[in-house]
Amino acid sequence: MKKIFKRTLTLLLALAMTVSLLAGCGSSSGSSDTTAAAEETAAADSGTETTSTSDGVLKLAVTTGDGSSSDDKISTPWYNRTFATNLMFRSLLIADSTLTETSPDLAESVEISDDALTYTITMKEGLKWSDGEDLTAEDVVWSIETAQQAAQVNSIYTTAFSYIESLTYEDNVITMVLTSPYSDMSAILAQFAILPKHSLEDADPLSMESDDFWTDPVCSGMYCVDELNVGNYFTMKINENYEGDAPKIQSIQVSFVSDYVTAAQSGIADYVFGNDTNLVEALDAMDNYTGYSIDQLFYKYFIFNMSGTDGNENEAMQSVEVRKALMEAIDRAALAALYPSAALLDSGVPRTDDAYDGFEWTYDLDQAKADLEASGYDMSRTLRICYYNNDQTSVDLINAVVYYLEQLGLTVEATLSNDGTTDLFTTRDYDIGFKGKSAFSISEWYTEYLSTDSLFCGIFGGDSDFDEPVAALQAATDTESRNEALATLQALEEEKVYKVPMFTVGVNVYVSDNVKVPDGVEFCNPYYSCDLDFANWELN
Amino acid sequence: MFKILASLPPLIFSYPKRSEKNMVKYIVKKLLMMIPMLLVISFIVYMGLRATGVDPINFLVSPEVLSANAENVEALRESLGLNDPLVVQYVRWLGDILHGDLGYSLDGTSISATIATRLPYTLELAGYSLLFSTIIGIGIGIISAIRQNGIVDYIGRVLAVIGQAVPQFLVGILLIEIFAIKLGWFPTANRVDPNATNAFVDAFRHLFLPVVTLTIGMVAVLMRYARNTMLDVLNSDYIKTARSKGIPEWKVYMKHGFRNAMKPVLVILLFRIPGLIGGSVVIETVFSYPGIGITMTNAITSGDYPVVLVTTLIIAATMLICSFLVDVFNALLDPRVRLGE
Repeated sequence: MKKIFKRTLTLLLALAMTVSLLAGCGSSSGSSDTTAAAEETAAADSGTETTSTSDGVLKLAVTTGDGSSSDDKISTPWYNRTFATNLMFRSLLIADSTLTETSPDLAESVEISDDALTYTITMKEGLKWSDGEDLTAEDVVWSIETAQQAAQVNSIYTTAFSYIESLTYEDNVITMVLTSPYSDMSAILAQFAILPKHSLEDADPLSMESDDFWTDPVCSGMYCVDELNVGNYFTMKINENYEGDAPKIQSIQVSFVSDYVTAAQSGIADYVFGNDTNLVEALDAMDNYTGYSIDQLFYKYFIFNMSGTDGNENEAMQSVEVRKALMEAIDRAALAALYPSAALLDSGVPRTDDAYDGFEWTYDLDQAKADLEASGYDMSRTLRICYYNNDQTSVDLINAVVYYLEQLGLTVEATLSNDGTTDLFTTRDYDIGFKGKSAFSISEWYTEYLSTDSLFCGIFGGDSDFDEPVAALQAATDTESRNEALATLQALEEEKVYKVPMFTVGVNVYVSDNVKVPDGVEFCNPYYSCDLDFANWELN
Repeated sequence: MFKILASLPPLIFSYPKRSEKNMVKYIVKKLLMMIPMLLVISFIVYMGLRATGVDPINFLVSPEVLSANAENVEALRESLGLNDPLVVQYVRWLGDILHGDLGYSLDGTSISATIATRLPYTLELAGYSLLFSTIIGIGIGIISAIRQNGIVDYIGRVLAVIGQAVPQFLVGILLIEIFAIKLGWFPTANRVDPNATNAFVDAFRHLFLPVVTLTIGMVAVLMRYARNTMLDVLNSDYIKTARSKGIPEWKVYMKHGFRNAMKPVLVILLFRIPGLIGGSVVIETVFSYPGIGITMTNAITSGDYPVVLVTTLIIAATMLICSFLVDVFNALLDPRVRLGE
């Protein structure tokens, strides 16, 4: 009797464990595609039921696990912009979803001279900060000048502001004179958040992002911080000094979380985004979220290390035929399939862009073998690959690349670096590097070729052939001159093969059905700011 | 301290008669020995972290910023003292620590402020886990020993094996999946809800799952240990003598069995405290619980070595203090321990 009891008990325990494990693992089944903007996630057959209510509060989340933001202060909008900081800090201009077309925001108007060298910016009258102080042209000039002295500031601002020859203001009119035309200047001004001089002028620009200001910042946007609870959340209330249309949503709660998927599944995030395969699959499987697929210039690419750390050339990678053969041996389309929304790429110019010259890298193993043999490459040496993204998709991609290159008869060694910047740019003990770059514009991709680029000149050997066309691209203020510069640059890229893009990786934005987004709103790259007509967002 | 222990009723401790002077010397000696140990640990951790060759600046700024903003980044490096030799940096850091200045994280936040905010959260989590695991673990262990091969003993042994075999992070993820996501009974993250109306209910909701996760692992150890030591004691000659004298069974268990079985269990309990603080690193990450553990994880991810150093030292210091307490307890409770006289 006792034996039977023990067996029954064992069986019940085993059954309970199995049920618990199945319950725990059952949420990631099924996936669906998001192919067009505002496409509803098709997850009816495998949807995960998640109970959530709006509670009259818009719920956002900030991930802290990746080290990109901390949970004890508001992150500076001068580095990466977030949904929350977009609602707190405004810029002179505001961009559309493409981030290239702009319209006035803090500025009443921006006039650009015919030679594209002088920007005359007239500020709106009566602007105020959330603490009641006037928001003036002085704040704008101080912000731009301070950003030039800051260490932790997005490179798009540093690059653009390095073109400024003089910056002056009189009353509410700012005059900015450039040393040479800079085609992205308006788009950059639409991203650059103006900060209050009266609150931050005593802060050290080198460490301004850690100033106490960021625990209760003075804001210019629709909302400002109501309460910050370190490690847990911050809440936002309507900024009573905001002069635009008052938003319909009265309160916003931003939770600090480890990952977006759990936050979404537990109903504490009405808006999440990402391009990670696991996130996209999980969110697509939730029938209470609507997914929006967004193109962005997030390049995934290979770089060839042309020079070693000792200053001598890396002899094995000098032949362009070798570099081409290595790329021909990689099935890029198969690799792109590892990402939920990757678009194949052959140069810095996306295939959908008017300036794309039609060149395509083709996967041809036999041709690659023949080319490598003809190049006289020493097949006995070990080809070294260095990469630093440790997410599973990147690891899978590199494993696949190693496999492809081994099909050429090569011995390949791939190293995962824990400090990509040092290993890729300083130590440089590799032949091929794999990296990512989230670029604001195409010209940012091409600036890496500049012989003056302090990081890449060490890798590519300081070739100055790109300098002139890159300068022409940055100065191009009309489509014709832009496309002309891009044609030259694409030709050079195909000829030199210093770096080879594989694809761009899009990003998916998910909004819960607690939120009613106004018709016609198009989401942009979530790391930047654009006009989302937020004043008309409503909670269901 | 031993005076306080001596004043306790003899139910738990039977304080041996030791020379007070020797005991004080013993305690002071043990305390002094902690100082070089902490110094050695701090040196090893500091050099270990910095010897990896990882430039902390690379965690602060992206390659693009480094390239476009090299002058300002270099100024930042200088202002953080990163251009000085490692030994100089270590001595400077140690000097600050000895002056009570824990310094600043690489992003400029005061580490003292961070610790002051985060440590109570971790102590709260570890404290509840310790309390519940002690009550449950010792309780089930004792009952299992008294009712050896009974239902409680059988279930207890199975659960102990499961509790020790299944990794805590997996238990945490399963609990989140079932009780937070599927059933929606508990939150998945954080410690405080902005919409909470009752602080006690809010604390219960946020602490329940992480405390259960930490408790499960610790209960398994304590249960097994308490059961085994109690069984040893119950099989001792003096227990048989007590029974033969006709002492009631409950008195045999509680007065003679329990108090003697608890000595080694208390030692294990003390040694589990640093494990609880250290174990919270994983659990706090799983539950996005804003304690020292997740602070340490985030600091490692973002290359913030000053924060990693201080949090590591806190865990090491906890370990040393617990080790010291174990030594003192042993000296107080076991007359065979030599006090060095």
